[in-house]
Amino acid sequence: MTDRKTAKKAKAAALRRRLGKVQVPVALGMTLVWMLLFNAFQPRWESLGLFVLGFLVSVAIMLVFPLPPIVPGFRFHPLPLVRMVLHIAGKMFTASFRVTAWVFSPGEVHSSVIAMRLRTHSDLMLVCTAIASSIIPGTVIVEVSRDEWTMYLHVLGAADEKGIEDARADVMELERLIVRALGTREDIEMLEAASPSGKESV
Amino acid sequence: MSEGLVAVLDWIAILCLLAGALLSLVAAVGLIRFPDLLSRMHTAAKPQVLGMLLVLVGIGLRLIPVEETNVFNAGTLLLVGLFQVVTIPVAGHIAARVGYRTGRIRADLLTRDELAERLERRRGEESG
Repeated sequence: MTDRKTAKKAKAAALRRRLGKVQVPVALGMTLVWMLLFNAFQPRWESLGLFVLGFLVSVAIMLVFPLPPIVPGFRFHPLPLVRMVLHIAGKMFTASFRVTAWVFSPGEVHSSVIAMRLRTHSDLMLVCTAIASSIIPGTVIVEVSRDEWTMYLHVLGAADEKGIEDARADVMELERLIVRALGTREDIEMLEAASPSGKESV
Repeated sequence: MSEGLVAVLDWIAILCLLAGALLSLVAAVGLIRFPDLLSRMHTAAKPQVLGMLLVLVGIGLRLIPVEETNVFNAGTLLLVGLFQVVTIPVAGHIAARVGYRTGRIRADLLTRDELAERLERRRGEESG
């Protein structure tokens, strides 16, 4: 009898510990995805039910597959965020035209693999910069070294010193915008501290 | 919604869809035309992202005038766009990395290769 009771208690404690690991912001994000999936953003009563259901499903997922929290997470700075999105969209357009031109111009296209040392040391910023530079045509991430905070990018068409330097400046600019838009205060301070000497990039 | 506005939206949507389709075509041509894996990666992952986003915008614009769904259906499109943008770099990175490490690249097409320098250095450290 007591055995059963202690077992039950241990189970309850384990459940509580797991519940404590549920990260509410992440759960809310998953709920948002759930609601987008089911078109829940219409003014009707079902939407409320979908919200509750989505939240329960998110909590259940996090109970079954607990993940370590991402520290320190995102900070959203609205104005720089808009600037970042516009910058990336603009780059995507211009770079798409460049790549298109290369596709249809005869002859071999030379390129380079360049090393880019990031000025900020935060996993999240590294991931965001990597994703952003992958999305912009003309650059592909070949390798990321986390212990050195260095990304190795394959830059299409960077056949001379000028092309390489241009590509470098582009990625630096991208990192600056992303950190300004999503970084924590420490990230931004780090960026600013590194910026004057940020020219030396290897 | 007025007839005129619907027509304008339709035309913008058509332009977006056409531009998206064209970019995807460019990506396909690039895949055939470029000689080595790394440059092919560019066309496979890139104009196609913008092309897909344009197609999504086009579909979204077409959906606005539809009475019962309205703009709210754009949620699914948003999700498609978001997950494509987030996942394409992951796949691209893995393909590029594996290609590089297994030597399936054309070194003669690379003007400068700083990763090779690093790998060389590291190898030197390990053996020395």
